[in-house]
Amino acid sequence: MKLCEFVRPASLSQARASLRKLGPKGMPLAGGTALHFMPGKTPVSAVDLTHLGLSYIRQKGNFFEIGAATPLSDIQRYRGPRWAMHEICRRISTHQIRNVSTIGGNICRVFPWADLPVVLLAMNARMVIYSGKLKEMDADEFFSSQPARLFRNGDLLTAVKIPVLKAQHGFGSVKATRNAAAFSMVTIAALLELKGGVIAAARVAAGSAIPFPKRLRSVEAALTGKEPSAETFRAAAALAGTDAKWCKQEGMSAEYVAGLAEVSIVDALERAAEFARGRTA
Amino acid sequence: MKRHELAKNFKQVNTSVTKIDAMQLALGKDSYVADFLPKDALVIKMLWSPHAHARIKKLDVSKAEKMPGVKCVLWHGNVPRIVHCTAGQGFPEPSPYDTFMFDNKVRFVGDRVAAVAAETEEQALAALEAIKVEYELLKPVFTLAEAMAPGAPVIHDEPEAHVPIPITYEPKKNLVAHVACEAGSFKKGMAEADFTFDETYETPYAQHCPIEPYTSMAQMTPAGRILITTSTQVPFHCRRIVARTLGIPVQKIRVVKPRIGGGFGCKQEILLEDVTAMFALRTGRPCLWRFDREETFRTGRTRHPFHIRLRTGVKKDGTITAIALECINNTGAYGGHGLTVVSCSGGKTLPLYHCDNILFDGKSYYTNLPVGGAYRGFGATQAFFAIESLMDHMAEAIGMDPLKFRQLNHIRPGEGSPIFQALGEGREGVPMTVGSNALGECIVQGAEAAGWEKRTDWRGKTGRYRRGIGMCCLMQGSSIPDIDMGAATIKINEDGSFNLNVGATDLGTGSDTVLAQIAAEELETATDKMIVYSSDTDMTPFDVGAYASSTTYLSGEAVRKAAADAKRQILATGAEMLGLKVEEVHCEDAHVLNADGSKKVSYSDIANYSLYQKNQYQIIGTASHITKKSPPPFAAHFAEVEVDTLTGFVKVLNYVSTIDCGTAVNPALCEGQTEGGTLNGISYALTEEYLFDEKGKMQNASFADYHIYSMRDRPNIKAILVPSYEDTGPFGAKSVSEICINGPAPAIGNAIYNATGARLNEFPFTPEKVLAAIKAVKK
Repeated sequence: MKLCEFVRPASLSQARASLRKLGPKGMPLAGGTALHFMPGKTPVSAVDLTHLGLSYIRQKGNFFEIGAATPLSDIQRYRGPRWAMHEICRRISTHQIRNVSTIGGNICRVFPWADLPVVLLAMNARMVIYSGKLKEMDADEFFSSQPARLFRNGDLLTAVKIPVLKAQHGFGSVKATRNAAAFSMVTIAALLELKGGVIAAARVAAGSAIPFPKRLRSVEAALTGKEPSAETFRAAAALAGTDAKWCKQEGMSAEYVAGLAEVSIVDALERAAEFARGRTA
Repeated sequence: MKRHELAKNFKQVNTSVTKIDAMQLALGKDSYVADFLPKDALVIKMLWSPHAHARIKKLDVSKAEKMPGVKCVLWHGNVPRIVHCTAGQGFPEPSPYDTFMFDNKVRFVGDRVAAVAAETEEQALAALEAIKVEYELLKPVFTLAEAMAPGAPVIHDEPEAHVPIPITYEPKKNLVAHVACEAGSFKKGMAEADFTFDETYETPYAQHCPIEPYTSMAQMTPAGRILITTSTQVPFHCRRIVARTLGIPVQKIRVVKPRIGGGFGCKQEILLEDVTAMFALRTGRPCLWRFDREETFRTGRTRHPFHIRLRTGVKKDGTITAIALECINNTGAYGGHGLTVVSCSGGKTLPLYHCDNILFDGKSYYTNLPVGGAYRGFGATQAFFAIESLMDHMAEAIGMDPLKFRQLNHIRPGEGSPIFQALGEGREGVPMTVGSNALGECIVQGAEAAGWEKRTDWRGKTGRYRRGIGMCCLMQGSSIPDIDMGAATIKINEDGSFNLNVGATDLGTGSDTVLAQIAAEELETATDKMIVYSSDTDMTPFDVGAYASSTTYLSGEAVRKAAADAKRQILATGAEMLGLKVEEVHCEDAHVLNADGSKKVSYSDIANYSLYQKNQYQIIGTASHITKKSPPPFAAHFAEVEVDTLTGFVKVLNYVSTIDCGTAVNPALCEGQTEGGTLNGISYALTEEYLFDEKGKMQNASFADYHIYSMRDRPNIKAILVPSYEDTGPFGAKSVSEICINGPAPAIGNAIYNATGARLNEFPFTPEKVLAAIKAVKK
């Protein structure tokens, strides 16, 4: 697409009104990095969201709330109690990209290699959407298909709410890449809740090596009620193929990618278990 | 004093002075081609072939020519059909003339079809879409086996294709070049061996990835000449080749090279300048053509992929009795550098180890894939992967430490090799004995830094993550003997500063700084007194350009000789001013003085005297230089890796890169070259590859998908400069820049073997390949 006009609204409602008026020709603009991957010559008008007070991170009750226009580098630098988002953010692209790319831009239009949807699915995050009023949507619904569907009528993502992990919670993520700045070959994120020495609940999500990020329900089911051991993790990871059809990529076969995903699931689970056992993030 | 300690007495050389263009570049001052763009410049865009092999049946540009902003369209129907070679090599080139500015046949995805010059980029792109092309698709040739098969499609069936010198060239068989030699008897050597080996190796395509893509601008001067400002390593070859391609005299063309944002060999090719010049000629307007990154990948030059068969014989005592190195390169759709790269795969590697019975056979074939060209390391990179992998293999067979096996066999100072004479570049080489050679010390210092003594056999290693150490030894050359020539002039100014004009081409390497240091050392003044100008075909003397590891050694000696010429004149004038004989004075610290220093006169005074006062003349030194030798730099590399045996991922933990480059004229720049070349090689060994679809189109033509190492990937690299003194080089120097890229593939391959027992004969060492090799070991 081709940027032809630039609109700078003074408020969220003005932004929504502009987008509604522009219809398909309107495009919310935050970091702007996704533009690189949207070729073509369709003329669009950008509606600038960077001056609407949507760049912040704060803890409110049981959630960390991250403004939708918060750059990834801010999330990488932030520290809070049992905060785990920085690990994946420091693995996304380069410093220069992270300084402009926003959490909202990363999740409102999901590219196949996106890491944050995987993490937010595992974290059971909640997305705050402005449609004249604010409403919340959980990650499962938000990422049930391409989230761009939710914003066609000018609605806007305003924030992402990440649950504050409790003492028995552990989170781990793995991103397999060919080099530091490369897109992910496989991204896995896992959230474990341990109670009485067993896994009371698990949320495991995958992305990059599959067409769209998703939870691995068979893996989660295989973990629940089991001891968090290497054997448990390996047995559960072996079921990942039930949930996901791994794709070949970067010259590597689907068979290899499936094996890499299995190993990455085990690694993410081990990191999550370690986190739950008291490792400082 | 040992010979290499001579360098300690130098005042300007062997000193890490700041690059003379450092501030200019750091401050973002206008430096590069596109910085000098006139406001009325037209933008050039090219329509590239979407097909790997096709004949253009019909091409209609009439609609495009009428599009808004379009000033000119070029295609095979309206430009001269002059066959030429795009490789920027000496004349006549040891490469086929197989290229036209535009042709009625396309030979790879990314070949030229038609070009537009328009007022804006958008207008040029719109015009490209209006060009109608009808193709007759021809059967493509994608592999060496397909290219060599009897009855294979002929990629260059045009009658004009020929070679300008008597070398093997059979385009009807897709054969670009064939060179072979034998010293002793390979058959006899194999018969004497206790162990024999027969292995094949594959090396991949790779891209140079300079930060500044190919960029060229041309404009007409008021005198009706064409001024080409271009990002090139070879300004003089560029002028000659553009003149031929356009069918105009060399006199009509001036080529200026401003600062260059990297080349690594890819800008030793004339890929843009003929078109920019033709557009300038046709429109009378300045015209800029700048490749984007995708064009750089698809159409720019690449490293030749090689298929290598290596056979060797070795005795139990470590004597290598026979080596047969058979290399076949895929030169892609055009043959520039096909011969020289395959020649260097033998010429720059086989002399490294003692062996009485050596056989070399090198061939180069056309395919309908991207075009191979010059790339740092130039043939040696590919062959050293095979040779140094097999050195470890042989050492293990005879139960010898691979380090000791190399120490036992490597070439010593004063020794020669029949290969030096047998394999030149397009003709026989020159007989040569090695003068400076600190390889033995490189091995010792590298082993100590890498902790070689702690290395253990892979069979005792357990666990998911396994560590290993691998090594290799390397050599390269310093310029092409009896072929390459460099020249310089140096003149004095009133304040004692000097204009140093060189045709040598600084492409970001720091060669302007190095040449200034050499001139200053010879003239016994300070480096910051040098005003360096390079390179401009109107204003600077000839130089073949920056390639073949030649600038410091070859152009540097031309500079030293020119400085010595100027110094003779300074001494004469100084002596005249002091009323002394020339024999009674010497130069020191920018003065001419007598033996006890009681009488002296400054360079500034001498300049003013000679320019304004008495017996006036311009003190100006000039010199040319060719070499009779190509003294090899030597290196020993050591890689420590950690292999994830569950995923096949390889992490380089530590890398030691030792280098004997003779005197390091500027040690900081030498270390920079060494670290840069090493990281370049690590990236090539682990992550870089061209992925093609079934139609021969590269699928990963962007930095998002073609993975090169950045500083965040950089392992701990220790560069160690091991001094020697090369008598034939300026102040003992030889080359440094190319050799370092040759080590990582074999060193890392050997380290993976030491970690896991998995031997890979093909790279890049992708996780999938490594994992498959590990699984094969377990079986």
